[in-house]
Amino acid sequence: MSGPDTESLVIPEPVEPEVTALGPLPDEGSADRGVEIYASGINGALHRIPKVRCVTLPLLSLDLSLVPWRPTWPRIKTISLTFPAGLEFLPPKRSDRVDQPHAEFVSVKVPSEAGAVGEAAAEKPAPEKRATRVKPPAEAISIEDRLFYLLQPPLETWLKGQELIMPFEPFPYQYEGIAWLFSQKAALLADEMGLGKTMQTITAIRLLLRAGQARRILLICPKPLIPNWQREFKAWAEELPVVTVEGDSARRQMLWTMPGVTILLANYELLVRDMEAFGEAPPQFDLMILDEAQRVKNRDSRTATTARNVPRKRSWALTGTPIENRPEELASLYEFMEIIPPRATPDLRQLTTLAKKFILRRTKDRVMKDLPPRLDRDEYLELAPAQRLAYDAAEKDGVVQLDAMGESISIQHVFELVLRLKQITNFDPLTGESAKLERVEADMEEIAECGGKAILFSQWTACIDWLQQKLARFNPLIYHGKVPNHKREPILKQFKDDPKANLLMMSYGTGAVGLNLQFAGYVFLFDRWWNPAIEDQAINRAHRIGQKSQVIVTKFISKDTIEERINRVLDEKRRLFAAVLGEGDATNVSLSLNAAEIFGLFDLKARHGKGTRTIGPEAPAA
Amino acid sequence: MTANGKQEQLRLGFLTAIELPDKGFIGGLLVTNHCGRPLEFQCTVPVRPNSTQEILYGPTLSAFILGELIGATLVEKAGVKPQLILTDREQILELRNHISQPVALVESNSQRDNDAASKQTTLGRQIIRFHPAHSDDESTVSRDSRQIPTDADLQEPFERVREALQETLRSGALR
Repeated sequence: MSGPDTESLVIPEPVEPEVTALGPLPDEGSADRGVEIYASGINGALHRIPKVRCVTLPLLSLDLSLVPWRPTWPRIKTISLTFPAGLEFLPPKRSDRVDQPHAEFVSVKVPSEAGAVGEAAAEKPAPEKRATRVKPPAEAISIEDRLFYLLQPPLETWLKGQELIMPFEPFPYQYEGIAWLFSQKAALLADEMGLGKTMQTITAIRLLLRAGQARRILLICPKPLIPNWQREFKAWAEELPVVTVEGDSARRQMLWTMPGVTILLANYELLVRDMEAFGEAPPQFDLMILDEAQRVKNRDSRTATTARNVPRKRSWALTGTPIENRPEELASLYEFMEIIPPRATPDLRQLTTLAKKFILRRTKDRVMKDLPPRLDRDEYLELAPAQRLAYDAAEKDGVVQLDAMGESISIQHVFELVLRLKQITNFDPLTGESAKLERVEADMEEIAECGGKAILFSQWTACIDWLQQKLARFNPLIYHGKVPNHKREPILKQFKDDPKANLLMMSYGTGAVGLNLQFAGYVFLFDRWWNPAIEDQAINRAHRIGQKSQVIVTKFISKDTIEERINRVLDEKRRLFAAVLGEGDATNVSLSLNAAEIFGLFDLKARHGKGTRTIGPEAPAA
Repeated sequence: MTANGKQEQLRLGFLTAIELPDKGFIGGLLVTNHCGRPLEFQCTVPVRPNSTQEILYGPTLSAFILGELIGATLVEKAGVKPQLILTDREQILELRNHISQPVALVESNSQRDNDAASKQTTLGRQIIRFHPAHSDDESTVSRDSRQIPTDADLQEPFERVREALQETLRSGALR
């Protein structure tokens, strides 16, 4: 058979069709043209006889058309998230620093079957440590925001890496606190005193800076705590540059606005003063932190108003006592945190709901199982004879005078009497007799003998000065509001380092907050503050993380005096107070006396319908 | 080393995928620095083979989808290019045939004993294994890997990637 090119196809000659003429025969002319016109008018061209000829055509190809199938896939869509570049800081220079061991490839022997068990055991990786992950906050809605938090490494890894060196391993609850703060735009860290709010805050700041979430941070604290924060920053984040706002007005203005400043540290007083000077254009911050945030509990105060007006992206508040007097005080803190509208007055249920979301509070009982115990002993003392005489006379005269005042009596009058009587329970101003002093001397003999250290708190600086003379043989150090700021740090250092300095005497106002004195094993409350929350703050200077031994707390209460009556009222209130922040957490609630209770101390009745007004000195401002 | 004398930081890519019932695979690539801090994250929409593809690719299908399709796409689209890609799925090792960077499988403890016959190396706390056809990868990576702490857990970032993939799925962003 020849190929298709040589094959021919012969088209057969068609058969001449027979035409049946239905119309007239064509005339001559038409015949010449070879076209017949029928009578019906149909063109006879269709009837034209085809000319037939033979042509040779190639055969059709037998090659079947194939349908090729290629494994094509549509282009895959992706979703992308780029993490912001964080600030890089030079690591601190440390001569004694030992570099972390680094990995090198090590050939691993293939375990033989026989030795598999033993060698596998030897090669077992280190036991898995707990991993604290950052969780996206509830208000993070966009997928980018949520992934940002989800993809951060576990804090244990992050803080152990070469980037962030931690001087000490944080406790698990502290890791949780750091992770929580890191993810919160609004946060109130309300851990009980001594649980390390400062460290958690500093570490969360480090992480924010590293993760590119903040570049300019403002930290406000009471003035006496400035050195404390400086010290803690140096201890926990040596690489972070901290600038303290201080100096004259011009210098401060420069510091507030100086570019390139990462962390600005200022006290409340300067915040108020300097922000007013900025007027409508205050400096802006990525994060603003209020330490001892109960300072803004009164939402109408200048401090609170000024703090709220500072432009910022994140707002954190730190306090061990978020509620000092009334749960409503939380509203002012919430307003600073911008989680309630201005002037909003949330009810108790709303406060509690918001607390679950925006407050993190842990108590020592719950998290510090390993912290040495704190042993409280209420020391009921009989007044010394001269003291008793002076006390009874003063109380009798005072009550008589109050009674004689009739309707003109005010809370202030009663309050003055309470103060006078309390002072006599400390010591008799005429004879200098003091039952409390005798007990302190006896205890201090033992404490000094064994090289221990004690802290003594009193409400009055005059009392502290008086005690300094009486207890001179124990080399007491004084730390109260009348001690100039520049002398305070050296005093604390001497108390820590000087083995002969066994006693530090402090006022509640100056010494109750922010200081780390965990090397002291004894605390004396020479007289009692009006609010056990403040007393707890004072005690926790010693009973805090780092404390190696138990802390013995002695609270002096003079029998059959106003002190005993006040103590009874406060105990009763403590039992009755319903804590907003959780069952059994009564360490932060206010137990301050109100007017009716103060009048009741002397069996007087509150006048002028002011029975619910709280009286007493302001909570100790630093 | 960079021009200014500073050692360039090692960038690691943690690449893994999850399989969704009736929806195929979605893959995720987390690029971190040597300490595990995230620099970039990429994930794919679900990739599902049809029945023809399943028949034609046979047992090589998952290596093709995970390595060549998902892996190569993620690496190609990454703005921050990883210098070493780690995976916890063996099929993704196939990716090495399509990119120039080394790809290593981070062995789980159970795999470790089973793969006793092959050559193993350690990185951080884990044993890793390279593509058998690219034996030079080990020496290429060895120099930079010194930046990785010896106690680094290289399995952990895969957990983050999986969580992120689940979160992305829940959000509906992959529809």
